[in-house]
Amino acid sequence: MRHTLIALVEDRPGALNRILGLLRGRGLGLHSIAVGDSETPGVKRATVLVDTESVEQTIKQLNRLIEVLEVTDVTNAEYVVRETALVKIHAPEPRRDEIKTVADGFGARIVGSSPQTVVVEMTDTPDRLGEMIARVMAIGACETMRSGSLAMALAGPAPRVPAPAPEDATRVWWSQADGIS
Amino acid sequence: MTDERTGAQVMCEALVREDVEVMFGIPGGAIMPFYHAMWEYRDRLRHVLCRHEQGAGHAAEGYARSTGKPGVCVATSGPGATNLVTPIANAWMDSTPLVAITGQVSSAVLGKDAFQETDITGITLPITKHNYRVSRAEDLPSVFREAFHIARTGRPGPVLIDVTKDAQQARLVPDWNVTLNVPGFSAPVGLDPRAIREAARILAGASKPLILAGQGVIISDAVAELRTLAERTGIPVVTTLHGIGAFPEDHPLSIGMPGMHGWVHVNRAIQECDVLLCIGARFDDRVTGKASTFAPRASVIHIDIDPSEIGKNVKVAVAIIGDARAALRALIELIPPRDAAIWLRNIRETQATHQHRQPYLRRPDTTELMPHDVYAALNAALNKRGGYRVITDVGQHQMWAAQLIEWRRPRTHITSGGAGTMGFAVPAAMGAAIAHPDETIWAIVGDGGFQMTNQELATIGQEGIKNVKVAIVNNGYLGMVRQWQQLFEGRRYSGTPLTGPSFAGLAEAYGLRGFTVDRIEDAEEAIRAAWDHDGSVVLDFRVEREANVFPLVPPGLSIGEMITREAPA
Repeated sequence: MRHTLIALVEDRPGALNRILGLLRGRGLGLHSIAVGDSETPGVKRATVLVDTESVEQTIKQLNRLIEVLEVTDVTNAEYVVRETALVKIHAPEPRRDEIKTVADGFGARIVGSSPQTVVVEMTDTPDRLGEMIARVMAIGACETMRSGSLAMALAGPAPRVPAPAPEDATRVWWSQADGIS
Repeated sequence: MTDERTGAQVMCEALVREDVEVMFGIPGGAIMPFYHAMWEYRDRLRHVLCRHEQGAGHAAEGYARSTGKPGVCVATSGPGATNLVTPIANAWMDSTPLVAITGQVSSAVLGKDAFQETDITGITLPITKHNYRVSRAEDLPSVFREAFHIARTGRPGPVLIDVTKDAQQARLVPDWNVTLNVPGFSAPVGLDPRAIREAARILAGASKPLILAGQGVIISDAVAELRTLAERTGIPVVTTLHGIGAFPEDHPLSIGMPGMHGWVHVNRAIQECDVLLCIGARFDDRVTGKASTFAPRASVIHIDIDPSEIGKNVKVAVAIIGDARAALRALIELIPPRDAAIWLRNIRETQATHQHRQPYLRRPDTTELMPHDVYAALNAALNKRGGYRVITDVGQHQMWAAQLIEWRRPRTHITSGGAGTMGFAVPAAMGAAIAHPDETIWAIVGDGGFQMTNQELATIGQEGIKNVKVAIVNNGYLGMVRQWQQLFEGRRYSGTPLTGPSFAGLAEAYGLRGFTVDRIEDAEEAIRAAWDHDGSVVLDFRVEREANVFPLVPPGLSIGEMITREAPA
């Protein structure tokens, strides 16, 4: 079954690689992953759409990764999903009006063009994006670029970032060794 | 005199601060600055030059498993690092605290396919708890501190630190006042009192309770607590392969090992029990057989420090996440004394019927040395003398050792379990021998596994290690595979017959003593001579070639369906 997970991940080298490697190694299907900065410096927030038989196991396995701070499954919560698509449509001048009509109907925008092409941007649910893309594909050859789903639960606690360990604990620990230097 | 150091000196100092006393490794170009610095620390940091990095890694594992402290191995970049992959994977599967240090090419050429460059952090991603590539010398104190903390905390495991050559060479004034800041590494949390109460309630109401004890009991130093709990409640105790030693096998409540080569009475007890208290074990498929049919009548209570093990293979009624010792102490407080004598008597009756130590009956028409003759002699010697540890390899000899030696103390039985790494025993025994110079370290190994890493006999010779005694159970086959071919593939012995040199002669060539034993009446005397010899020894026991390990649960079947002897021909 497909689950929508939201993960908070420390921005360290290889962190994303570890998440992808874990999903592959455990034989889980990754549908999409979208990552970007969170409200906390040094911490990324990712939306992961993954096919798994046991989401509890998947979350526990992800939590074993050192950089993963928190994983939430929002699949059964009230949440919104948005995805952005850029669609480049190869269409001659005479058909541009048609494209504009479709775009307007979907709340999409034309964000750029060249003599041969028009680029449309749209942000909506993945299903609505699919519908729009199907419509413009009937007009001309299309190249699509989609961001992957971004999800956010409507409710939930205020964001909480784990506090760093108190510094004095560190000093005690090191002083146990016979000091050199 | 300034406080300036090289990165390599900082690495050495970090190891001293972590109480490391010995490391196992092989130098090479990208790790040379570290070896250069090591020279100044040679009175505090012993370096054992191994003959292959795989040997260095397993030696560090043997050190770690016999002491509970992290083992340290060192290799250079490229092939040196990739040769560590097998021991790292082995440590990952068996929860062994291991810190692997590798050299990496200089950051100036990193990513340019430089000589001996390999992306070892990428390669070891799925088989380490964590790994680091360090290219700034300033990061070394905090990275070493984090690495050792992660390797030994919670469920132990391997951590790799890859240090570029320029970071080793850089000069810096190290700042040792580093803050341990790993918020994503969930250190063990407090026990959930509701889970403890619920577990106690279920155990109190059980009529056929059973304890399944794994390596977690040994790692968390909960052997005394396990014994108290068992004695207070009369619950029989099963020990997994890695749990061997967590509960003495001469104790009246010990019933033995479960699983693919477990005893009939143990597997039947698991299938019949109504409550199964699993402590620090992970329901490996070699224990459960077909997992959906495992312990069908039981409410399972699972104590584990790793939350991801809960419910992974077997459904649990109550999960207690935390340290096994703390959990057992809390349980002991809550469980009233009880009695399971009738249940235990039933198990013992099954045991008597199946005469569990008798499937190795000598064929009437042969006087060949049988494996069980070797184990009988070894068992007698071990239990008479004490002061030993046994390292086993992987295969038939490993299962015979688990079955036929009466294990009594934790960390005396060390083997490669989860990964099943042939070649583990000889180098791991070397590591354990260095950790415990006053004990006798037996390596029991097949002729297949012995030939994978026996180059470390040279290391044993060079280091003057006197307390390794290797017992090769030599049947001229990759025996476990051959056994499966015999039982399930119509005796098509494809790729399993195996020759070798004179192993006794090989030992002598390496400067050790070697003896060949092929007669029953010589086994005991050879073991005595090896034990008393002031130096390391190889005993080559030429045993009956087609002896089998029984009982056996055929792969994919329920543990209730055991084969206990060969079908009559």
